[in-house]
Amino acid sequence: MRITDINQRERFLANGNVYLPHIVKIEKVVDETYDTRTFHFNFKDEKLKKEFTFQSGQFALCSIFGAGEAPFAISSSPTRRGHLECTVRQVGKLTNALHRLGIGAEIGFRGPYGNGFPMGFLQGKNLAFVAGGIGLSPLRSLIWNVIDNRDNYEKIDIIYGARSPADLCFKYDLDTWSKDKGINMVTTVDKGDESWTGRVGFVPQVLEQVAPSPSNAVAIVCGPPIMIRFTFPVLEKLGFPPEQMITTLEKRMKCGIGKCGRCNIGNIYVCRDGPVFTYAQIKSLVSSEY
Amino acid sequence: MINNKKINKRDIGNLLNEWSQEFTVFVPLRESGVAMLSKWDGKDTGFMDWHRNTVQPIKANFFPPMEEMFSFQKGKEGYHIELPSSDEHKQLIFGIRPCDARALIILDMTFKDLYEDPYYLPKRNNMVLIGLGCTNPYDSCFCTSLGINPGESADVDLMLTDMGDQFLIEEITEVGKELIAKASRVEEATEADEAEAREVKEASYNKVTRKIDTEGIKEKLLSCFEDQDFWEKVSTKCISCGICTFLCPTCYCFDINDELVRRQGTRFRSWDSCAFPVYTKMPMENPRLEKWRRVRQKVCHKFEFYPMNFDIIACVGCGRCIRQCLVNWDITQTLNSLPTRV
Amino acid sequence: MENKKIEQKLRQEAKTLLQQRRVDYIIGYEMGSLKFTTTPLITKSENDTDRLVVNPFIVNNLSVYLTEVKGKVGIVVKGCDSRSIVSLIQDNKIAREALVIMGIPCPGLIDLKKVELLLGKDRDELDNITRDGDKVVIMVDGKESNFPATEVLFDNCLVCEFPTPQEYDVLLGEPTFPVGDITAGQAKIRQLKEMAPQQRWEFWKNEFSRCIRCYACRNVCPACFCQKCFVEESEPQWVLPTPKWQDNLLFQAIRNIHVAGRCTDCGECERVCPMNISLRSLTREMYEIVGELFQYKAGMDKNALPLLTAYESTEVEDFIR
Repeated sequence: MRITDINQRERFLANGNVYLPHIVKIEKVVDETYDTRTFHFNFKDEKLKKEFTFQSGQFALCSIFGAGEAPFAISSSPTRRGHLECTVRQVGKLTNALHRLGIGAEIGFRGPYGNGFPMGFLQGKNLAFVAGGIGLSPLRSLIWNVIDNRDNYEKIDIIYGARSPADLCFKYDLDTWSKDKGINMVTTVDKGDESWTGRVGFVPQVLEQVAPSPSNAVAIVCGPPIMIRFTFPVLEKLGFPPEQMITTLEKRMKCGIGKCGRCNIGNIYVCRDGPVFTYAQIKSLVSSEY
Repeated sequence: MINNKKINKRDIGNLLNEWSQEFTVFVPLRESGVAMLSKWDGKDTGFMDWHRNTVQPIKANFFPPMEEMFSFQKGKEGYHIELPSSDEHKQLIFGIRPCDARALIILDMTFKDLYEDPYYLPKRNNMVLIGLGCTNPYDSCFCTSLGINPGESADVDLMLTDMGDQFLIEEITEVGKELIAKASRVEEATEADEAEAREVKEASYNKVTRKIDTEGIKEKLLSCFEDQDFWEKVSTKCISCGICTFLCPTCYCFDINDELVRRQGTRFRSWDSCAFPVYTKMPMENPRLEKWRRVRQKVCHKFEFYPMNFDIIACVGCGRCIRQCLVNWDITQTLNSLPTRV
Repeated sequence: MENKKIEQKLRQEAKTLLQQRRVDYIIGYEMGSLKFTTTPLITKSENDTDRLVVNPFIVNNLSVYLTEVKGKVGIVVKGCDSRSIVSLIQDNKIAREALVIMGIPCPGLIDLKKVELLLGKDRDELDNITRDGDKVVIMVDGKESNFPATEVLFDNCLVCEFPTPQEYDVLLGEPTFPVGDITAGQAKIRQLKEMAPQQRWEFWKNEFSRCIRCYACRNVCPACFCQKCFVEESEPQWVLPTPKWQDNLLFQAIRNIHVAGRCTDCGECERVCPMNISLRSLTREMYEIVGELFQYKAGMDKNALPLLTAYESTEVEDFIR
């Protein structure tokens, strides 16, 4: 599952140095929730702006100069090349610094890293997307990718939940997808509020109720680690074999290229050999520290 | 028959001075009581009377405790990034031990894997290693269990054997050959010298008494990975400080941080340790909060995961972790007492 | 000889404590895997108590484990360690009732670094080291040499005022008197005080340039019991994690201020530093300053309020101008 093609990985190095970020400029800021924002940005370098591509599920390391660097999934789709989007939640020093930046601000960007979703494997299949909170971010890249190549895929189920209505991300996309006749969009919250008229329930439980069929289907899961750990047993119960359950894992990362050592699970590095894994691969990992 | 050379210890100072024209020469010195490889002052050759291994490992020369990656400055047209000026000087390390030389081979595998590390590799490719066989291993050394001979090394450019008042010189690489060809006061070694050197090497090998059994260690660790009781018992006295990983010649974990002063700053990389609780801390959870998980990670990374990826155990038996550990936590004791499932 | 008797009593005491279920764990010292080294023994099993030792090399301050071991603990302490425990009790980190303290009056411990310097040989090249009253007998290559104990004991042992544990449930051995070689023990600090300010600054700049931020000093210190150390704080970033000498110096200075009034001068920080930084010069000086300014010595009275946590209206405020 690792990218070993030299051409692919060396194409976007700045100055031949893998740790050097490119400069990107923020073009638009979208408030998703009270603590989450999506940043739209573009490369300052014209050539890179035209040539940069990536696969859904890959991530980039964004630098706020002076605050540091952190990994973010690219939440825009590679089929829509006008700009790049990353969705960021405020949790610490770097993300707080990023949230203080506005349109026109410059940050660093290096990537894309990681292995991306296996598009070839997904073609011709029914897709069940299961996401929680900001976990929808890497899946969003894949969902728009699939929608833009709709004929290559069969049924689409999207089951998305958040802690409360105020925590739902990408509300504008949820709206578009629920209006799409080819998509079964199910939104849920753990706890509703006065104005919420939709479903209430934890994502794994709602998944069990919606019960997407496992025949010729692949389930793609992303969310907080605890949600993932509860979702896998439900999918197994529904009859999904482990090779047809895909997830993308999150770990603390610094280098993003398998050198600094911290994102390992057993002998594999999430940045280099992931972050996309099948449940079968996760089960065969030496360590259960995911 | 390979014809080896020899040189009298009296003439080493001269030789190093010749080499100083082309290289920055590093020798094992004891500064403020700490033995490390430091720049040679050009005069004092007293270091040859000291026969033990340094505290600070060889990795500090290619992968320093703190390294500048680039600097950034905010100008009128936005951010401008600049790489640090590269140090053109080639390093010549005199007196590196076989264990440390092997450690470099192990480190190379990580820094070359997938993406080439642009800070480590230029320094590493430009340096010359003059190995020195050990005549007085510590009681904490266990290199022989890891396939390393304290008297011989194929990982250096020239290999010296200490025969009292002379060094036997073996040419290992072409670079080494060239260095010695131009050197003055180097003589041909005689049969008697060769015989004496062989004896010295055998004596060194036999002086290493600490041993571990590396047979099937990957599989043994795999089978006891989830044995929480064992790892909790083994890790009770560790105090998670980080000395073992910092002084280990094959440990390479690093951290990346920015320093900002007004509108300009620098991005540094510095040594980090899997023993620190915050090493893997994420905003919502920490997969290695408990100490036994971190101790397990350290042992298994060296003896299970690295062999799974690169077919070599990431330990050279230098014993620094045992000598310097504040509580005398001994990895050889842990490895020799792994629970084996029958 | 004396040590052997104390050892016997200690092993018996520890075994009894475990047998009678009066404690869940015993924390003591056992022989280490290197010559002249001991290592902490933390055990629940009675049979392990036969491995407990008492000798001139029991350097570790075992109170550092008390904040993480759960349950009732029987712990072996020397003079300085017992004061660290009292300090932890004062700070409410451990309860006195959860401890059975086995005190060992300490005649001072042998500093292997000093021995190595005196003999020009490393620890593993020596045959034997024994303490015989105020002499230390060292055997090398079959030959014996004698040294006055004051030349090979740790600096902090030379100036120790309370070698007999302050707080204990059982005292194994006769209370002992301080070695009392204040001049030798304070030599380094006196040297520093006699330097001109610029010279002293250069000295510390040089010392801290060697620091690699391994945090051995912080982790071995029982007074450093914070769950999250200030160096791990990123908002605000007090000091950089990068080992620049300015940040290293600042880290050590702030650490000393944080442990003021809790440091008992056990000397562990300096012993464990792999880069031989003169850490004890800072900690001892802080200890003296605390004694002068507040007439307070760490860990003497478990019922006293910890330093700088309480305010009396009658306090002198002549430093406020």
